[in-house]
Amino acid sequence: MSAAYTRLRTALPPLAVSGLVLVLWYLGSYVLIDADRRFLLPPPHEVVRVALDPANLAELMAGLGLSAQVAVLGLGIAAVVGLLLAALMSQARWIERAVYPYAVLLQTVPILALVPLFGFWFGFGLPSRVLTCVLIALFPITANTLFGLRSTDPALHDLFTLHRASRWTRLVKLQLPAALPSILTGLRISAGAAVIGAIVGDFFFQQGQPGLGQLIYLYPRRLQSELLFAAVILASLLGLVVFWLFGTVARYATAWHDSQQRPASTGQGAAR
Amino acid sequence: MTDHGPALSFEQVGMHYPTGTTALDDVTLHVGAGEFVAVVGPSGCGKSTLLRLAAGLLTPTSGTVARSAARLGFVFQDPTLLPWRSVRRNVELAGELRREPAAQRRERAEQALARVGLTGAADQLPRTLSGGMRMRVSLARTLAGQPELMLFDEPFGSLDEITRERLGEELQSLFVADGFAGLLVTHSVAEAVYLAERVVVMADRRIVGEVAVPLPYPREPQVRFWPDFTALTANVTELLRGSSAERTAAVAR
Ligand SMILES: Nc1ncnc2c1ncn2[C@@H]1O[C@H](COP(=O)(O)OP(=O)(O)O)[C@@H](O)[C@H]1O
Ligand SMILES: [Mg+2]
Repeated sequence: MSAAYTRLRTALPPLAVSGLVLVLWYLGSYVLIDADRRFLLPPPHEVVRVALDPANLAELMAGLGLSAQVAVLGLGIAAVVGLLLAALMSQARWIERAVYPYAVLLQTVPILALVPLFGFWFGFGLPSRVLTCVLIALFPITANTLFGLRSTDPALHDLFTLHRASRWTRLVKLQLPAALPSILTGLRISAGAAVIGAIVGDFFFQQGQPGLGQLIYLYPRRLQSELLFAAVILASLLGLVVFWLFGTVARYATAWHDSQQRPASTGQGAAR
Repeated sequence: MTDHGPALSFEQVGMHYPTGTTALDDVTLHVGAGEFVAVVGPSGCGKSTLLRLAAGLLTPTSGTVARSAARLGFVFQDPTLLPWRSVRRNVELAGELRREPAAQRRERAEQALARVGLTGAADQLPRTLSGGMRMRVSLARTLAGQPELMLFDEPFGSLDEITRERLGEELQSLFVADGFAGLLVTHSVAEAVYLAERVVVMADRRIVGEVAVPLPYPREPQVRFWPDFTALTANVTELLRGSSAERTAAVAR
């Protein structure tokens, strides 16, 4: 089997599904819905045409830019803080007992409901949006990293103990690399959360420079349904790109890990 | 092979785990410098505990463990490699943790790899190697530390018999060349007799007997078919059986 053929076979099923979705979409627009109510589901080419109008495009891109910026900043800060917190908690049970409940609390408090409060405190600009994002994205990366740091093979720990390795050496040369698959899983979940936090948070802010969330809120009120669809699609694409990016990074960074071994006989990749 | 006082001595050592299990009871054992001793016994009789005490990974709850050997090597039951490091970098790990200069540790790693026949695989990742090759990497990592005392915890237990015997032969030539003291834990009687000068039989947390192996080194692989060898393995097996028969009798009573 040639590589091109294999790639085609992998790409074909999802392509077929998106083809089917387009067909159903057109069917919905032209068959299911009367012409005077077509704004409820404008056909795909109309969405593209209206979105490519320069003024609209500029608005959409500014919204996408802002949301992407919030998501990336939020994720970056959450990743750094989460890694540090997990590394700290991995050093002693008492630190974990002191800190972990608050990390869980963070996960159970509906952060988005606090958005108006952040607005009061920090204004409606970039800082509160990024803060919302950080708080939403922090838990998955922290919890997964901690799990990874804690599940290092005890025999490897013995090896390091035999050579009187310091805590720092143990953390850097053993625990962190061993935890890399868990860290990347956590990052991927956090990335998804960060994108949602950026867009939905923006939706809740209702003030300041509009990101994709506010556009999604505005367009239906201005009866610009094509643009609503365009904004929703852009938001989904942003999420997809982030997800794909982390998947790729993870695959390269953990090539040594058993989870990256494709079962040779079935011709299917492992689920990821 | 020669006796310059013990590299390792256990005096009336007892080990109770906090869970309540007594893993060792009144164990007295000496391993002379350059001497190779094997410990055989059924699983659960305390062999790993013995080795972990010898390595200082555990402290005995009674008695004393003394080790005069400064440089210690431990070969675990599994290869225990860092899967993200190449074979070479795995072998360098011990030197790295001991903060040896880079050039020296690189050179020692090269030598150790050459000795176990893995020079060609130096840049591969562990997962691309067979079980036997991984065990050789583990052996090389230990050799690179130039140990005076080597501890082995059922090192070839997970390998097939052919690989197992071959690695036993390689280990013996390493031992003959380097003259490190060795304490090998195994459940294979033939492996114990083939490698060791003395086979200590353990059962149920205690040492129940000892068989000296007066076969001169280097021992050819064919030694395993000699009548003396068979007689020695029979002696060891007898001790193992005897102790288990005793225990069965005790249970029956
Ligand atoms: N860390 C531990 N905590 C509690 N009990 C243990 C521990 N390690 C071993 N044991 C117990 O001590 C006994 C001897 O174990 P071990 O030394 O591993 O035997 P072997 O290596 O001969 O199979 C067993 O009953 C085992 O369950
Ligand atoms: Mg054991």
